[in-house]
Amino acid sequence: MILVGTGLLLILAGGVCAVMLRRMPSVADRAFAALVTGGGLMAAFPAIATLADGRSRMVRLPPIGPGGAWVFGLDRLSAWFLFTILAAGTMIAVYGTDYLAPERHERPIAAAHGLLAVLLVALCGVVTSQAVVPFLVAWEVMAVSAYLLVVFESERADVRRAGLIYLVLTHVSTIALLAMFAGWGRNAPELTFGALADTRVADAPGRVILALALVGFGIKAGVVPVHFWLPGAHAAAPSHVSALLSGVMLKMGIYGLLRMMSLLGVLPAWWGWTLLGLGLVSGVLGVLWALAQHDLKRLLAYHSVENIGIILLGMGVGALGMTYGQPVVAVLGLTGALLHTLNHALFKSLLFLGAGAVGRATGTRMIDQLGGVGRWMPLTAVTFLVGSVAIVGLPPLNGFVSEWIVLQALLRSGAAAGGIRVAVVTAAGLGLIGGLAVACFTKVNGVVFLGRPRSSGGVPPVECGPASVGPMLALAAACLALGVYPALAVGPAMDVGMSIARGASIADAGLAALGASLPRVALLALTLLGLSALLWLVRGYLLARSGVATSVTWAGAGAPLTARMQYTASSYAAPLLGAFGAVAGVRVRAAAPGFHSEPIDLVLDGTVFPVWRRLARLAHEARLLQAGRLRWYLLYVILTVLALLLYLGHTAAAR
Amino acid sequence: MTATPFVTLLAVLLAAPALPGIATRAKSLLTGRRGAPMLQLYADLAKLARKGAVYSRTTTLVFRVAPVILTAGVLVAAFLLPLDGRTPIFGFTGDLVAFAGLLALGRFALVLAGLDTGSSFEGMGTSREVTVAAFAEPALLLSLTVLVLVTGSLSLGGMLGAPLATAWPAAAPSLVLAGASLFMLLLAENARVPIDDPATHLELTMIHEVIILDHSGPDLALVLYAGAVKFALFGALVVSVLVPRGRFDPWVAGTMLLAGLALIAALVGVIEAVMARLRMDRIPQFLVTAGALAGLAVILLLR
Repeated sequence: MILVGTGLLLILAGGVCAVMLRRMPSVADRAFAALVTGGGLMAAFPAIATLADGRSRMVRLPPIGPGGAWVFGLDRLSAWFLFTILAAGTMIAVYGTDYLAPERHERPIAAAHGLLAVLLVALCGVVTSQAVVPFLVAWEVMAVSAYLLVVFESERADVRRAGLIYLVLTHVSTIALLAMFAGWGRNAPELTFGALADTRVADAPGRVILALALVGFGIKAGVVPVHFWLPGAHAAAPSHVSALLSGVMLKMGIYGLLRMMSLLGVLPAWWGWTLLGLGLVSGVLGVLWALAQHDLKRLLAYHSVENIGIILLGMGVGALGMTYGQPVVAVLGLTGALLHTLNHALFKSLLFLGAGAVGRATGTRMIDQLGGVGRWMPLTAVTFLVGSVAIVGLPPLNGFVSEWIVLQALLRSGAAAGGIRVAVVTAAGLGLIGGLAVACFTKVNGVVFLGRPRSSGGVPPVECGPASVGPMLALAAACLALGVYPALAVGPAMDVGMSIARGASIADAGLAALGASLPRVALLALTLLGLSALLWLVRGYLLARSGVATSVTWAGAGAPLTARMQYTASSYAAPLLGAFGAVAGVRVRAAAPGFHSEPIDLVLDGTVFPVWRRLARLAHEARLLQAGRLRWYLLYVILTVLALLLYLGHTAAAR
Repeated sequence: MTATPFVTLLAVLLAAPALPGIATRAKSLLTGRRGAPMLQLYADLAKLARKGAVYSRTTTLVFRVAPVILTAGVLVAAFLLPLDGRTPIFGFTGDLVAFAGLLALGRFALVLAGLDTGSSFEGMGTSREVTVAAFAEPALLLSLTVLVLVTGSLSLGGMLGAPLATAWPAAAPSLVLAGASLFMLLLAENARVPIDDPATHLELTMIHEVIILDHSGPDLALVLYAGAVKFALFGALVVSVLVPRGRFDPWVAGTMLLAGLALIAALVGVIEAVMARLRMDRIPQFLVTAGALAGLAVILLLR
């Protein structure tokens, strides 16, 4: 724990350096990047050690305020999330120095770096706290520093609006968690997680506690229907902050739910079914709504909702496995969820960094105005493509491995006995999610990076600098490494899963089968890559013999194609969105000169705002009662007294 | 380790280009025409391999790499099926997910290649392709789920091999439903009537053909060959589900597979002769029906 503490202090020192040395930008940037990376590496060491040997590393500090001792520490679960935060977080911080540099004279970028360091440390604090009070303190620091980063471009009205929605929602989340811990810890000797684990809560309050946890952690994770703060906040924040929010901060909700499961042990069946249902709804609707987006960052944000859905599917079937006494299903589901958490942190950060690079170079995030960007930004295009293949869950990359494990858990639940079998039907949902994700990411890659530029006249975009490309390359390499050598991450994830679902052992047939098939998955990935290389050589040989010519794209007998004739993102997604009708969350305008669709959020724009407007109108009408005339108020008093008297008389008569 | 898995795989890979020919010939016979030779695709492949390629100046490396990825993905997927009724070249727990993933990877690559040309034709085709795929994917997973529930195995080798043969009599209704669903998917995934018409000459009505308008030479050969192998793989799935071959001698089972593939290709030709293609907005309904059949089978098994 000393190493973790020192590492986090170094990260904070990096933030302080960025602020103190802001007069010397290049020194400040380098010091910030070096200190954050160094601190991250240092703090990651104990996390790796804990994942390897399984020993808990705890430190007990005297209490500050009420609530008992402040315990910090690493067990397997904490270590897994700490590693995830640091792996993605350090890359994001390094990228941020390059990304924000052009804004040096317009905005206080030193403060942004400092806040990013604070946010990173708060995230680490959330997952290393082993007591309620420090957990909530870290949670709140995380929420507020993230808010300040979201409204970094505060001169824009849409940014302020998105920030406000986020701030309200995150506090609803905090309040729910406060109430939850208050109820849970009522009879506990002290508010450490260890003490909470030993406190049995009666049935009825237990239900309330579990429901509050769903609300509090669900909002943070961006689960449908409380996801609606997420697209706005992610789109409004600077891109590297979006990467941290989407890749890492959402996972704090997942961490919270997993921590609950590890503390409470076996949970009632409705909890597992709810998680599974929420996962299915979030997964399908998240990707469907992503498909409808025109803003690159909003699209990626909705995709986070989808991936949270996949994680929840794994957790849900994991919880059900614990409830129904199917340890193999439980461990497989949890392993898949944990692995997808890490994987999503890697590829979603990568995608947001790529989106940021495109936005910087072209000056727009609107997909339909872009096109052919890959020609000028080849490294960004290739890394973005790697991230896309990974997020869609295709071999040979890491996303495939985690979705493969989640699907195995779902299918195995069907082969088991008892009520859990019904969970198998969600496998079809995962198939639908996969199919829609292919549509969504072919749209993004095709329309942004391939084809021809759709808006002419601007200067051609330029590839970004090494401090931006470096982190993207590193994250892409990590996606490939975990896809080709899955045992690297699956083994530790399985250990974490087994530490949550106690009672399973590695010797169980199903888990042994997973371990045994990992080399086969690696072989599959390598065969795929090797065969591709072989076919590439054959193709090269054939073409070398007969020659290659270049021409224009075939356009039939008519006039040559122009960039305006290309399919736009709207038209590309139209058949699919049309097939889904009202749930697709899109308003279509097909007028004479063109086709345009406008995405709407069915929860925020379709429900929350209309309900709010109606409430406001009702409140307005209610103001008639309070017209400021003394006579009226006296009348109200007399009427009230009369009503009370009547009531009293009525009850007295009844007695 | 016996030789049969390798021999059957080789036989299927060699015979695959004959399947579209058989379908065309069946259609020609029924519609009173002579039609192209049954082995036409072999001649086409040989000719395309010898030819050079023409690339649009709009295209990038993606366009050139895609046919290679597509073919490699389909070939590796072929390694996962127990073509001789017993053992695949390599299988593992949950390899059905890899099977679906490898086919999806090929689609991903081909769709990107289409978008790389910057043509409205290709844009149209790819948009339709991903629409079809999004509805086909859940149906495929449901069909495979039926097999998991019937056999209790999570690898294609078990789901389509000996355990299936043992469980077949008890679960026949579900398996027939799953087989029907898989056959509908075969039509959709391989751009056949009633989803897509490989013989159409108007770009505006195409799905698959219009994506590969700009491919030429060895690239086109790879795409065509991958298409033929994919047809064979879906055919093998249908044959394996409907006719459990796990109890036969592997050599006999392999021969049965080849005969079954020819039969399915002929059946596809018959469908093309007697049916028109569906309107584009009816395609989701067709695929949802396929999913519903498999879903019904799952419900029968969960009862």
